[in-house]
Amino acid sequence: MANVIEVQGLSKRFQTADREVQALKDINLQIEEGDIYGIIGMSGAGKSTLVRCLNFLEVPTEGKVTVRGKQLDQLSEKELREERTQIGMIFQGFNLLMQKNVLDNVCFPMVIHGVKKQDAVACAKSLLEMVGLSSKETSYPAQLSGGQQQRVAIARALALQPKILLCDEATSALDPQTTNSILQLLKKINQEMGITIIIITHQMSVVREICHHVAILENGQIAEKGLVEEIFVHPKSRAAKMLVIEGRDPDEWEAEAEKQEVHELHESRRLRIVFSANSSYEPVIANMVLATKTPVNILFADTKDVGGVARGQMILGLPSGEEAQARIITYLKGHGLEVEEVAGNVDA
Amino acid sequence: MWTPEVIMMIVKGIGETLYMTLVGTVIGYVLGLPWGVALDITAADGIRPNRAVYRVLDVSANILRSIPFLILLIAIQPFTRLLVGKSYGPTATIVPLVISAAPMIARMVESSLKEVDTGVIEAAQSMGATTMDIIFHVKLLESRVSLISGATISMGTILGYTAMAGVTGGGGLGDIAIRYGYYRYQADIMIVTVILLVVLVQIFQLIGNAIASKLDKRKK
Repeated sequence: MANVIEVQGLSKRFQTADREVQALKDINLQIEEGDIYGIIGMSGAGKSTLVRCLNFLEVPTEGKVTVRGKQLDQLSEKELREERTQIGMIFQGFNLLMQKNVLDNVCFPMVIHGVKKQDAVACAKSLLEMVGLSSKETSYPAQLSGGQQQRVAIARALALQPKILLCDEATSALDPQTTNSILQLLKKINQEMGITIIIITHQMSVVREICHHVAILENGQIAEKGLVEEIFVHPKSRAAKMLVIEGRDPDEWEAEAEKQEVHELHESRRLRIVFSANSSYEPVIANMVLATKTPVNILFADTKDVGGVARGQMILGLPSGEEAQARIITYLKGHGLEVEEVAGNVDA
Repeated sequence: MWTPEVIMMIVKGIGETLYMTLVGTVIGYVLGLPWGVALDITAADGIRPNRAVYRVLDVSANILRSIPFLILLIAIQPFTRLLVGKSYGPTATIVPLVISAAPMIARMVESSLKEVDTGVIEAAQSMGATTMDIIFHVKLLESRVSLISGATISMGTILGYTAMAGVTGGGGLGDIAIRYGYYRYQADIMIVTVILLVVLVQIFQLIGNAIASKLDKRKK
């Protein structure tokens, strides 16, 4: 499958009054056509800058951004504007025109690109129907809820029939229920219209819900990237482990890192095991305790929906005694579970 | 005292004051609006930063704004004469009125445009909008309520300037107040002109507020 977006060696530095800030450092990304690609990181990690480099709202200091085979820094201003019509974007703050009604907001991108008013209105109406807001055509944004405003913004972003949709923290200002309905809408757009979607977020739940691939951004660098499924089963970087094992969203990383040392556990070894859908039915731990005659301590357990598949994970504290530990590990592996050693401190 | 002549004079004065204020405001906006737009977009945080252009527009606005109207009125009399053929009367007054009002209007427009949410501008840019699209479809549109309020304030100020022009025989209510109230000690005529000026400003303000409120779609 062709890469619709390619980022090579991208760096971005900002010059402030007294110092230079390195927002992004040597970013490399390949995003396939038709993918839903998540970029997750804490605030200040450079996510928003990165997504703005994908349509050149921010011009990178170094590196190449290639969108649909065109290298953006090689384009003239006019060509760049033309290319931007192929890259829709939605924002955390919706960014609708507050003085225009819903229909005119959706018509706006078409009007500035010279689409006839009549055709623009027809297109806007069908888009509003798709996002479920046909009844709000003559309302003004101030009269709508946050979720409704984001739907208008989505309809507007799709008005020029883009191939790519960039979402910059598009659900961060919304409550969980509304977030979910917006994510379902994005999923539908991806499946029915074949639009590649790039989602910037600081919520792991958003990535788990709809993304196929994910890049974890930490301090302006990519800590880890790959299939969401793969990272969920085998997180390698510290950042990924924080997200997956601890279930902590990036904004909680720093605050929690200190707390962690306080309740360090006494078990000499910890194991993380991951259940796939079918192994969830068997009482594996109970059977293992019976078989090995060795008690284990369940330190943490939960089940998450990863791309529609239920994935359980559990962290076990093993008793001391190498022989007993070996028995447990052999038993678990023998039952086809993903077993992975975790250090006493997750980020150690 | 309230002879038909005096009443006619006051009615004519109202007409002249309105003429100067309205024409002065309109021409003031013809110059001040593009000036303010240019200030906004060429500023360091604008959509087309241009330090040189901004500096010229900024400094010239400051210089013109720092000259008191009464002094400007007298100082540019030769220029006024060149332009309209004489230096007194309502039409001649419009010249210094515009020169004084345009930079003030430019500042009003600039500050209104600055209020527009940068997110909305970014959204327009992400759609491939040109600078002109953003000026006409985003900036001027989104700030229209603030622009109308600014216009109302500008008009009140320009009305005040027309009264000052009475010193050089500029015509209008201010001229009457100075000739009768000041030079001839006819306090009653002065009081009437003052009341009329207050009433005019009130009317401008009411109309301005009504238009602004009608245009504002941000309310629930």
